[in-house]
Amino acid sequence: MIRSAPERPEDILDLVTESVIVRGLDGRIRLWNDMSETIYGWRRENALGRPLHGLLHSHHPLTIAGIESLLAEKGVWEGELTRSTADGREVRIETRWIMRRDDHGRPVDIVETGRDMTHFPELELETRLNTHRYRNLFQAMAASFWELDFSLVRRMIEDLVNDGVRDLRAYLAAHPDFIRRAMAATHVIDVNEKTVQLFGAQGRAQLRGMNVAPFWPCASEYIYAQALVAAFESRPHYIAETKVATLDGREIDVIFTVCWPTEHKGRGSVLVGIIDISEQVAARAALERIRAELAHAARVSILGELVASIAHEVNQPLAAIATNGEAGLRWLARPEPDVEEVRMLTGRMVADARRAADIIARIRGMAAKRAPEPTLMSLNGLIEEAMLFLRHERQAHDVALTLDLAPDLPPLRADRTQVQQVVVNLAVNAMQAMNQAGSPERALKVRTRPAGPATLLCEMEDSGPGIPPDHLERLFDSFFTTKESGLGIGLSICRSIIEAHGGEIRAANLPGGACFSFTLPAGPAPADHAAIVE
Amino acid sequence: MMLRVICGHVQEDFRVPDDILISVIDDDESLCLAMVGLIRSFGYRASGHGSAEAFLRSGEMARARCIVTDIHMAGLNGLELKQLLDEQECHVPVIMMTARTEEALLMRARESGALCLLQKPFPADALIGWIDKALAT
Ligand SMILES: Nc1ncnc2c1ncn2[C@@H]1O[C@H](COP(=O)(O)OP(=O)(O)O)[C@@H](O)[C@H]1O
Ligand SMILES: [Mg+2]
Repeated sequence: MIRSAPERPEDILDLVTESVIVRGLDGRIRLWNDMSETIYGWRRENALGRPLHGLLHSHHPLTIAGIESLLAEKGVWEGELTRSTADGREVRIETRWIMRRDDHGRPVDIVETGRDMTHFPELELETRLNTHRYRNLFQAMAASFWELDFSLVRRMIEDLVNDGVRDLRAYLAAHPDFIRRAMAATHVIDVNEKTVQLFGAQGRAQLRGMNVAPFWPCASEYIYAQALVAAFESRPHYIAETKVATLDGREIDVIFTVCWPTEHKGRGSVLVGIIDISEQVAARAALERIRAELAHAARVSILGELVASIAHEVNQPLAAIATNGEAGLRWLARPEPDVEEVRMLTGRMVADARRAADIIARIRGMAAKRAPEPTLMSLNGLIEEAMLFLRHERQAHDVALTLDLAPDLPPLRADRTQVQQVVVNLAVNAMQAMNQAGSPERALKVRTRPAGPATLLCEMEDSGPGIPPDHLERLFDSFFTTKESGLGIGLSICRSIIEAHGGEIRAANLPGGACFSFTLPAGPAPADHAAIVE
Repeated sequence: MMLRVICGHVQEDFRVPDDILISVIDDDESLCLAMVGLIRSFGYRASGHGSAEAFLRSGEMARARCIVTDIHMAGLNGLELKQLLDEQECHVPVIMMTARTEEALLMRARESGALCLLQKPFPADALIGWIDKALAT
């Protein structure tokens, strides 16, 4: 159809296949194009000057006032409205509103474009609806969002499959260079404002079209690889904690999620969400440091318990030195001094003095004895906390932990730090034993139960090599160790702590490992408030 | 263990009888050696054992004139050894030693029928004094 050139600039709008309406801040219609007439059935002369929402009975689940305030805030709004036409039909309008402003940023009017979606098939409508929701979310979220073009990488993976690769995980392990190539083939389609801010970019335009390789530090490559594997295995999403690099050269701790929305599959795009958790990670690291310091402090204070056995250990070489010395003096006191004998004795004295010095070196720096401070507590809670402390060691040694903690256990009356040290020591020993023996199945079981009216029992079982029968009775002696760098004081500390609390500690062998158990006295019932006050 | 027999010129301040055997039992090797050396410097024969079991195996029970034993040892401890000797009607005097200080243990040692209990570390004279007493009985 050929039309004559439009007289007024607005007349161009009559060529547009969408309804275009401009309304003032008072809501009254200022511009009404041909398509608006077609869709709503009101002629221009009847529409101009009338309040838009009154004329068309606009309706939205958030209320019109609600979306107008969103518009005032963001300057743009997109969504779906229900309206009535001049002849009373209900229509569904997909619409986009833009607030126009003057040079001083003051709002002037609102431009609306709209399309009649009434006769669109439901399914497509649903998709469009999602697109709006998604677009609004994408911009509004406080997290960094990325839409990435993944189609090249999909093709690279398809090529691998065609070449017979079935296990992508194994393939990536053997060909780590593939990961960087895949990164270089993943391009940014769009990002939100939060991304610009978080990654220190100049603007969204700078990020669009970039490949993602610069954002992945080497140490985080395996996360990208795992995301590839997740895609390969058709999992709908993948989430992990990792570090990413920013454009201004920082590395930040983030939670990284990626999902492959079904409606984006055809386009080969993926959605990535990134949440900055550097503050949480810093707080966690500080906590870890405090934990290590506390554990050290606890260890040091418990060494006070050891003074008696250390004195014993040091006494032995000192007694030997004194005895050898006296024997030497006797040989020298003879009319014909036996130099050979004295030389031998002196040699032994030197060796014994070294032994004493070694023992002292081992205990150097240990702190003075601290009086135990008994309080009332839950044994189960204490064990759970201790196991939490050992989380890292457990993961490092691939140990499966089972807690079988009796409910309704009476409270324990003990020095919390000391008992915790016992639990930690036993668990560390068990993990070391399983590790040293290379046990394929590494299971640690901690059980609690009442043992008698006022006694609590804790058992710790491992699936390690167990204890040779002739070691059983020496285990708890100080400085007994079978480890190259072992101190051999762990169990002797445990014993002195448990015995100081009036309990007992035992070691035994099970069919598939060792079992250490200890008893401790229960405190008064929790109803005894006076006793709980610390 | 190298044993040098002292013979020939007998000095008056030396109680020469090197046919008198004294058995020392201590699981601390260097202390055991030192005590053997000390006893020998007094002119007695002495032999050392790392455990009560080793002593029993050695067959010295019948020959020893005095047994000097530590209390706290792996395996059979000093108190149990004394009990075993009593059961076998072996009346060799026993000198016990310990580095421990727990009152209950000391009580049990005193009640065991041992000649005496020496607390480590002790002066050499104390040991020799008790050995002399043991040999006099
Ligand atoms: N769960 C266990 N399984 C097997 N052996 C153990 C276990 N726990 C302790 N042990 C043995 O007891 C010894 C002493 O333990 P410990 O007193 O903690 O000293 P260290 O840790 O220095 O070896 C260990 O060296 C090891 O031989
Ligand atoms: Mg240990």
